[in-house]
Amino acid sequence: MTGDVVFYVALVWMALLLGACVVLVARGRTVTERIVALDLLVLVLVGLLALVAGEDQRPYALDAALALALLSFIATLTSSRYAADRRPFEQPDEEPSA
Amino acid sequence: MTEVLSAVLVLVGLATITLGVLGVHRFPDVYTQLHASGKAAFLGVAALLVAATLGGDGMIIARVVLILVLLGLTTPVAAHAIGQAALFRGEGMRTPAAVDESTEP
Repeated sequence: MTGDVVFYVALVWMALLLGACVVLVARGRTVTERIVALDLLVLVLVGLLALVAGEDQRPYALDAALALALLSFIATLTSSRYAADRRPFEQPDEEPSA
Repeated sequence: MTEVLSAVLVLVGLATITLGVLGVHRFPDVYTQLHASGKAAFLGVAALLVAATLGGDGMIIARVVLILVLLGLTTPVAAHAIGQAALFRGEGMRTPAAVDESTEP
């Protein structure tokens, strides 16, 4: 009984946090702040899927979480490398460009 | 007993993720926002994942261990890449009393 109440409160709260992350992506001042917000959005999504998988004991929700976590890592790494010096597949040089 | 432990873990995870999102919202520059998203939000998600394993299903436990190991390996690397990008773009530190060691001789 209390578990159900906690689950539904947690579900609504995580949905609100997802909305807050979308607002963060939209209102980021710089490119890197938007990348941080997108990374956080996917992390909250993984938490949401873990919540659903734990309540209904459905392991396949965690398959989606695993794929999201992997894709988000690649996307964050590539976009931050691209934001650094427009070469997404190499380390930035030793000297900062600015 | 398991239900109570699961509810407590879910509530702890929710509070920690909320702190992480709030930190990214409130901190003034990327370098401090990375603390919130890389530590608080990750630990909150870890608490939610551990709460999902308490049903005792082996399929769920295996996936949760895999996701935890992957997130634990990739989150610090991603945070480091973002911080490096911010440094190379020349973004200053807006935090009061911040010490930028990259500009010192």
